[in-house]
Amino acid sequence: MMKATNKGKRNFFIKKYINVYLIIGFVILVPLILVTFFADKIAPYDPTTVFSGEYLMGLSNKHIMGTDSLGMDIFSRVMYAPRIDLIIGILATSLGTIIGVPLGLFVGYFESRKGINGKISLVLIRILDVIQAFPVFILGLAIVAVTGQKVINVIYVLGFIWIPVFARLVRVETLRTRDKLFVLQERAIGQKNSVIIFKHILPNAISPAITQISTSIAASILLTAGLSFVGAGVRMPHPELGLMISIGSGNMITGQWWPTVFPGIILAILVFGLSMIGEGITISIDPRNWK
Amino acid sequence: MITFKILRILKFIGRRLLYLLPQLMGVTIVVFLLVRLIPGNPAYVLLGQGASDEAVAVMSERLGLGKSIIVQYEYYIRGLLQGNLGDSWFTSNPVLIDITQKLPATLELITYSIIIIIALSLFIAKVTAIRGNKIVNNILRGYGFLAGAFPDFWLSLIIIFLLFTLAGIIPAPIGRLDISFISPQRVTGFYTIDSLLELDFKKFANAWSHLFAPVLALVIVNSAPILKMAQATIIRTQKEEYIKFAKDNGLSDKFSERMIYRNSLPPVLTMIGYIYIFMLGSSVLVENIFSWGGMGQYAVQAITHSDYAPMQAIVLISAIISYIVYLVLDIVYYSIDPRVEI
Repeated sequence: MMKATNKGKRNFFIKKYINVYLIIGFVILVPLILVTFFADKIAPYDPTTVFSGEYLMGLSNKHIMGTDSLGMDIFSRVMYAPRIDLIIGILATSLGTIIGVPLGLFVGYFESRKGINGKISLVLIRILDVIQAFPVFILGLAIVAVTGQKVINVIYVLGFIWIPVFARLVRVETLRTRDKLFVLQERAIGQKNSVIIFKHILPNAISPAITQISTSIAASILLTAGLSFVGAGVRMPHPELGLMISIGSGNMITGQWWPTVFPGIILAILVFGLSMIGEGITISIDPRNWK
Repeated sequence: MITFKILRILKFIGRRLLYLLPQLMGVTIVVFLLVRLIPGNPAYVLLGQGASDEAVAVMSERLGLGKSIIVQYEYYIRGLLQGNLGDSWFTSNPVLIDITQKLPATLELITYSIIIIIALSLFIAKVTAIRGNKIVNNILRGYGFLAGAFPDFWLSLIIIFLLFTLAGIIPAPIGRLDISFISPQRVTGFYTIDSLLELDFKKFANAWSHLFAPVLALVIVNSAPILKMAQATIIRTQKEEYIKFAKDNGLSDKFSERMIYRNSLPPVLTMIGYIYIFMLGSSVLVENIFSWGGMGQYAVQAITHSDYAPMQAIVLISAIISYIVYLVLDIVYYSIDPRVEI
């Protein structure tokens, strides 16, 4: 009897939350992540070893994906490279979420209310507006140029760019929730604002931010690759996908495609997997899709 | 009735412009602070290596160094109002001149891309969503996810490899015209338009052949989110009660189709504006691959040479362009949907 109910529960869970997008996403991402984090053990060579005399070698048994113009083994580098992109993407998105979500709650809850908090939230909205006025890539490029080309700065810059995105998503939901009866009730009995915000509004306002997370990680990875491509992100000889594409770009026109094509495909698979998971989460947390 | 509508729109524009001023001020504050974040004397930073003592003294005077930060900001704004964006030590030109030369190249690239994207999404909306073809819909959804995953700079390189190196059907990816052509007399800065004004059809064709590959790369990547969005919005609108109601009342398919279009337009428009601004940033990479000589390439050149005056100006100008785009969008929005308030 007990077993049966458990099974029922599990089926319900599967029907409720699991969908084809999530499955595709995990099938793509899990092997990729395992490979990149165990690259030390699996990769045939060290990613920064230069094989002198073996520049731009085509595909062979020794170098499965060939070598680049510096004589480094592309297969090994491609195994290591997603690591730094993923770390940057995850940390930058976490930064954006950790600052953006509370900011959105605050702004949404106090917006156009009397008192000092109302005024602060008005100023904050305007500041968020200003940050979002800049084209993302140009702002990122400029801030990295100003603060110096270090990986940690790329994380800060991308995190900074995500703050207004998360704040805005949460703000809209907060505005929608703050005048609901259960919130007014709490206010009427004199509950502290902080308790109302985190206990009652947060659970109701968080879902668009959750769906944004994997989209943001994917976009951060593309931005990191772009920054590295123009020399404003991860630097040589560190294996990073955008940087690898950049090293290969000069040889593309003369027909040596392998240093460029392989890292690009890995990058696309990574981003595709993340956006699949993003879509899967969007569908599974929307109650309208629960069967 | 029509004059009344125009008056209302004018009033809306007026209010919207008023709202723009503080925003522009915020943008200038960010841009102003950007250079002050760099450690060291801003006069040295802006002048670059090897600046003479006199030049530094003149620059310090102009920046108002030594005075309070508010006064320095005031100096900066005064300079801006006089059209002074500083000088680039790398090109040794005033930045304003460099940018007026280079900006049209970038705008030509992304404007044609967005026009094609819009045409494409209209077409797709017509054949798939409205007709409700399930297979085409699924293919489209797959395309939306897949194309959005490829970095545009990588795709540009692939296009060069396939169409130039292998097939040889596009010109060498260097610049906006073959070397044998002189750039047309500048009227709009768009080579495709200027060459036409000169009635030089060979140059016109050549400009297009150079535009083809970068535009293709930008369209493939950036049409993905718009197509996905247009599709989703139209499918959602089709399920609305008022559409069903119209159909049940025997109104023609053509009529309900028009209703669907019109009601799906606002979110798609917002997305189009957003993508245009996004491309202004991401075209930096595509421009560098094609040696386009536009603002994006100028930006990378500025950054690799620590040339901060142009960098500051590019950030400012790209923000101003995005405000103009959003302003135009808001006006379009307002004229199709009068319920919109600021």
